[in-house]
Amino acid sequence: MTVVRRAPRQAPPAGPSGVFIAIVTILGLCAVAFGVGWAVTQVLAGIFDRPGGFQIPAYLILILGAIVLIPLMVTAVRLLPWLVNWYYLLPAIVFLLAFTVYPIVLTVGYAFTNYSGLNSGESDTSTRLEVTKLSRVQLKLAAGANAQTELRCDVPTCAGVPIAMPDPQDAKKKPRANSIVSVEGGVITLSSALPEFYKPIQVNRVNPIAFIGFANFSDIFAKAGVQLWPVLVWTVIFAVSTTLINVVAGLVLGILLNNKRLKFRNVYRTLLFLPWAIPAVISVQIWKEGLMATNTGALNRLGGLFGGVPIPWRDDELWAKVAILLVNLWLGFPYMMTATLSALSAVPEDLYEAAEVDGASKWQQVTGITLPMLQAAFTPIVLSTFAFNFNNFGLIYLLTQGGPQLEGRLATAQSTDILISWGYNTAFTAAGNAAYGPASAIAIIVAVLTIGISIFNFRAAGVFKEAQK
Amino acid sequence: MIQPRPSASPVADAYVPANRLPARILGWSVVAALVVFLIWLGRELGSRLKSPTFFILRIENGWVYALGGLLVIVALLFGTAYLGKVIGERSRGRAVSYWAVLGDQLTHLIIWVIILAALYPLIFIIGTSLDPLNRLVQGSLGKPTDPLLIRSRIVPPLEGSDLSNYAALFQGVVIYGWQWVMAGVGALALLWLAVVNLRTRAFAGGLLPERLQLERRYTSILLIAAIIGFFAFLLPGQFTGSGTASRFLLWIRNTFLISGLTGIMAVILTTTAGYAMARLRFPGRFQTLMFFIFVQMFPNIVALVAIFSIIKSLDLLNTFTGLILAYSGGAIAFGTWIYKGYVESLPASLEEAALVDGTTRWGAFTRIVLPLSGPMLVFIFLLQFIGTYAEFLLANVLLSGAVNWNVGVGLRSFGVSGGTSTNTTYYGQFAAAAVLGAIPIVALFYGFQQVFVSGTVAGGVKE
Repeated sequence: MTVVRRAPRQAPPAGPSGVFIAIVTILGLCAVAFGVGWAVTQVLAGIFDRPGGFQIPAYLILILGAIVLIPLMVTAVRLLPWLVNWYYLLPAIVFLLAFTVYPIVLTVGYAFTNYSGLNSGESDTSTRLEVTKLSRVQLKLAAGANAQTELRCDVPTCAGVPIAMPDPQDAKKKPRANSIVSVEGGVITLSSALPEFYKPIQVNRVNPIAFIGFANFSDIFAKAGVQLWPVLVWTVIFAVSTTLINVVAGLVLGILLNNKRLKFRNVYRTLLFLPWAIPAVISVQIWKEGLMATNTGALNRLGGLFGGVPIPWRDDELWAKVAILLVNLWLGFPYMMTATLSALSAVPEDLYEAAEVDGASKWQQVTGITLPMLQAAFTPIVLSTFAFNFNNFGLIYLLTQGGPQLEGRLATAQSTDILISWGYNTAFTAAGNAAYGPASAIAIIVAVLTIGISIFNFRAAGVFKEAQK
Repeated sequence: MIQPRPSASPVADAYVPANRLPARILGWSVVAALVVFLIWLGRELGSRLKSPTFFILRIENGWVYALGGLLVIVALLFGTAYLGKVIGERSRGRAVSYWAVLGDQLTHLIIWVIILAALYPLIFIIGTSLDPLNRLVQGSLGKPTDPLLIRSRIVPPLEGSDLSNYAALFQGVVIYGWQWVMAGVGALALLWLAVVNLRTRAFAGGLLPERLQLERRYTSILLIAAIIGFFAFLLPGQFTGSGTASRFLLWIRNTFLISGLTGIMAVILTTTAGYAMARLRFPGRFQTLMFFIFVQMFPNIVALVAIFSIIKSLDLLNTFTGLILAYSGGAIAFGTWIYKGYVESLPASLEEAALVDGTTRWGAFTRIVLPLSGPMLVFIFLLQFIGTYAEFLLANVLLSGAVNWNVGVGLRSFGVSGGTSTNTTYYGQFAAAAVLGAIPIVALFYGFQQVFVSGTVAGGVKE
């Protein structure tokens, strides 16, 4: 018996439809696979929701999804062989979508909400109601307890308030979510039935994450005078001046060391390379306390030998800025020096010889040959250094933590805070009070600026042209 | 033959066309404004200085002595430059310019001053790590009879130095017998690698004998295997010491684990994608590449809140898996881009021949392109490894508890840079941990110096 089969298409459909079919197929496969993963996890969670059972971890969705995805992919490529091109990209695309694009989308979403430590969609442990179970949908309040005040409800019956019940046996388990239908005479009626075995002892209110429109942004711009503008100005000043200082230092050293007659130049280069090789997270901490303490720091002791008086490296807002530039110079000059040297090694020697024959002085050789030749190589380096420093969170956070404090400024946006550290402080330090929504709004402002810089940067470096090849 | 550009001639520079004049005026006024600003800044900074304290040895007019000393050295160089000229002329048998020799010697002087200044923080931290009394960071001075630098507590005194700060990092760590064997094998392999590298130096410029190449490869594999064998099975239960400092080796293990796995992930994710971008032509390739580039523009930390909540909703908070997944997302675009460039530099004819012989695309990739891209894979791995090693922000947010910390987070726990308060009690231990924690990366940097320099400078990206 012969089976007449249409030969599978080897080539993708031309034009946008090919891309469209590929993307839809791949996204469809992922959706099916992870949907199955999600469904199986839900079923398993239901099965194990019993006395002595354990919590099914959410990452099981990823594992199950990956297991389902592989046979699906094999089947799909049998039908559409040209899809195999996309399989090379699939791992990268999946990871980018999951851990880069999805967080960005989520950040944009959070920026328009009141998401914070309080409004987190999880149990608010500052509200609690001791309860005992009456039936699967009814809980009894402890005598004398007032549901409205304990749970801070707007209406006396607490109707519609989302709640969560911490597990009575195991505090590590996730609280069980539910919501209140009504509270009448010391009895809470729940909207969905509890399992037979489950005996809650406590009820916490849940503050949902709510959409609040542009409130975060208008709040930022309303207070821009004490946070956004000064922080933005310092961010730009810092990024520009640290780039300039580092480039000049690197150029001078690179040009000095490019002298072929100089003995030990490789030894010098190796020694001066060292600050680059030490992880910045370590070296910045060395600088902070050991070298830049006002009364006992090594820098001030060294200055004392020359007749200097102590410099308040971290206690004065202006000196703290100088300290940041100084430490970043130390961290960054070896890179610039190395870049100069490798760019100069591409400059042909006979250029200098010709200039020498023409009677050009050393200085004229530097300004007439070296610097113009370096320009092409340095443009992308300068721009990417600027972009890097624009978001150089590690340096600021480890060295000054944004300090010292300034009168009249918010605690999250101090004298040396740059945009990104201001966002971090807003979300993750005590001063910011875990205000995730406003922090996401700040993050969007940072992202818009960074993308602007990057587009300019990539254009100058010719990335877009090279991609088209 | 490349001709010097016309503008390199001094005559062309001196001539300023009339329409350039406003630009010149603008340029000079910017310079003038900058000078005024710097004068203001200097006065302002000067007015904020503190008054001298008892803990700082102050020499009135010390700068005069220093300047005088420097001038004496420069004056000496004027003499030695003449000597250098004479010696140079004798040995080379042709005229040597006195000013060229003087310029070189002054360059040496300048560079030595810069080296001293640049490396002083390292001298300081190594000295502090050897000093159990934390004398460099205490509010006290040395004896009046001590040499000046020791008395002023700029250089650590040698007497009383010991390794107790280092010992504190390993206090109560139980190492099993087979782990000692692993450590011993690793140390021997490292030593042997150093010997092999010294022998390689002798062949500078020439072709390396195959035996030496093989020797280097197998010693490296042995070293890596020993490091993995030692650290992979180092368990939290083996750390019985009190205090967080004694968990130092565990932090190193955690960091190696996280960075190593992230590096491997980066290689796996970027090589296939980079190969497809370089060699396969299909509709959507360019758009995907632009998508990668566009996504790379977003700084990872901007989405910190969202990453935190994703990892939390996956129940992966405080696990290495969560951290590795979060890091892997950030590694893809750049690695794909470099690998694409690398594959494009390989001749396509090799793969074409294999394809004609009936190999599949995948076969051509795994059996021809991958074996050829060893150095590039090492570069992508190392870039990711080193970037992750020094990362502390995501780790700080996602990991909690001394058992789970990585080096960056752990170092902050000494109270040295934790808050605004100054705490020098554990500075010695911090210094010891900083020295030991930096060694792996410094070793990698110097071991793969060439790879780094060409790779990072070409990529125009600083990690």
